Amino acid sequence: MIGLLALSFISCNKDDGYEAVVNERLDFVVPANFPAPAQDIEHNYPTQKGFELGRKLFYDTRLSANNTISCSFCHEQENAFTHHGHTFSHGIYDQEGTRNAPAVQNMAFQSQYFYDGASDAIDMLSIAPIHNPVEMDETLENIAVKLKQDKEYVKLFNQAFEGGQITSGNILKALGQFMTMMVSANSKYDKFVRSEPPGNNFNQKEMQGLELFRQKCASCHATDIFTDSSFRNNGLPPNPNLNDLGRETVTGFKRDRYKFKVPSLRNVELTAPYMHDGRFGSLESVLNFYRNGMTDSETLDEQLRAEDGTLGIPLTDEEKEALIAFLKTLTDEEYINNPLFYYQT
Amino acid sequence: MKFNYIKTVALAAIATAFISCSSDDDATGEVIGDTYGDVEFYFDNGAAGNSLILGVPFTNSMDEALTVNKLNYIVSNFVLIDADGNEVVYPKEESYFITNQQDEVKTVHLENVPAGDYKAVRFGIGVDEQRYLQGETAQQSFWDLAAANDLTWTWSTGYRFVVFEGTFTSPENAEPLLFKVHQGSNTETDNYREVTLTLPTTARVREGETPSIHLITDVNKLLDGETKISLHDNLNQAGTAAAIMGGENLIKIADNSTEMFTVDHVHNGAGHHHE
Repeated sequence: MIGLLALSFISCNKDDGYEAVVNERLDFVVPANFPAPAQDIEHNYPTQKGFELGRKLFYDTRLSANNTISCSFCHEQENAFTHHGHTFSHGIYDQEGTRNAPAVQNMAFQSQYFYDGASDAIDMLSIAPIHNPVEMDETLENIAVKLKQDKEYVKLFNQAFEGGQITSGNILKALGQFMTMMVSANSKYDKFVRSEPPGNNFNQKEMQGLELFRQKCASCHATDIFTDSSFRNNGLPPNPNLNDLGRETVTGFKRDRYKFKVPSLRNVELTAPYMHDGRFGSLESVLNFYRNGMTDSETLDEQLRAEDGTLGIPLTDEEKEALIAFLKTLTDEEYINNPLFYYQT
Repeated sequence: MKFNYIKTVALAAIATAFISCSSDDDATGEVIGDTYGDVEFYFDNGAAGNSLILGVPFTNSMDEALTVNKLNYIVSNFVLIDADGNEVVYPKEESYFITNQQDEVKTVHLENVPAGDYKAVRFGIGVDEQRYLQGETAQQSFWDLAAANDLTWTWSTGYRFVVFEGTFTSPENAEPLLFKVHQGSNTETDNYREVTLTLPTTARVREGETPSIHLITDVNKLLDGETKISLHDNLNQAGTAAAIMGGENLIKIADNSTEMFTVDHVHNGAGHHHE
């Protein structure tokens, strides 16, 4: 057995001709105010080379059928990896989807992905946009075929996965490692709750907003990830032109009709437009909707129904203003400017 | 070697096998300890007691006649169990397999299994939750293999466990209509199931001897098992086709699928018995 191992080791070194590279495990740190990761990251623990490869793939247009659309096309770093100003993103052949591009951040801390929970595994979620005919319209198998023609990729996969080949699984794992490391935890709010310098940095309005948020919003936008990864019907009137059934699309259960994933609110100032279909252009419009724009239906979240049967979250104009001031403290300049998440060719 | 991480289990199994052999079977002079052999599983697809033939209809208990055009499924996580209940777990990262009726891919071949006398087997139907990528190895990309056999889901991300497609007629529709049953897990329901089957005769694994475990898979059970699922009841609104790919039906089919397998017989001895 040992003899065999030794042999294969020697032959690897000889055949591949790659310099021995040290591929170190990255230091994945759970921020002090965060809950434990929802994903088992040990299963595909990020390494330096795996992370770098994932980042290169994220920015590579070869992940789409006609080599025009990369992940980063709809997930731009400066907008917390959303597609600023686009209700629906243009995918391949200039087609439009039916949902607003969600932010890519703190992915390892979430147990469900996409507005309908089409995936619950960080290493698998990339399958959905890659294969969606209106997004990238490609297959993993064919991406592997394309990348094998590029010697640089052959080398990088080999380094990232200990002699690994360019395969569907390794493409997914590299993207998973990149997304695992994409942690946004250095907003003004984070520094406030962690009592980091410059100390108590919230003004009175932001404090008021935080208190209101904890009373009125935090039961769904829970923990410092600002989502409980659940699916809820928040009373948004369905758009008859789309008739998006939400979670029911995945589960096939009528009880899931019009339920969509509670989104994280981190960097929310940067991720307009809002809601799964991007219908609201501003945070003010969102709060106006929560105040008095809801439609009743069988699956409406009970928390949004008051004892007297009225729907919505009562808010004065002043409270609205304070909430928005608070929400803006969730903007993380370090995250959106972090060169680690940007691929320079 | 591939057996490293289950070595304790394997060793225990070998030890037991060795002890029982040395007392009973001294005359054969067999060497079992620390030797390995292979095992074959042969999945012979049938329908309601007859052979499954693509393009030829069979009738179920709801009086629906199904003409199957495609039947592919994933079997996984193979375990061999000896008379004392010791389990030899095949290495997980190499324990995902596909069967394909059209292409006559029916054999699962396990290598380097500790020599022993096995009385029962356990395996899964589909891919277990949170283990999506474990079929990926340096030698094989399970995703690619599954995709080539139409066993992946890409709008929701994962594997189809069973693809069962064709046309059907029923008392309500004399004209054949399309049906598609795609079984799998989604992020709400885990539809992976395992079955444990007792072998009618011992499967003897020895160096140079490959037992072949011949299973019959009754595909009729998928819709016509403990729970009955009528295709006609699942027609789309236009009444043109029946597609079963989500909701309660997937849970029912998962449970029905555990009734689908029986071990018909076991071949012992050297060489390959099928293919």
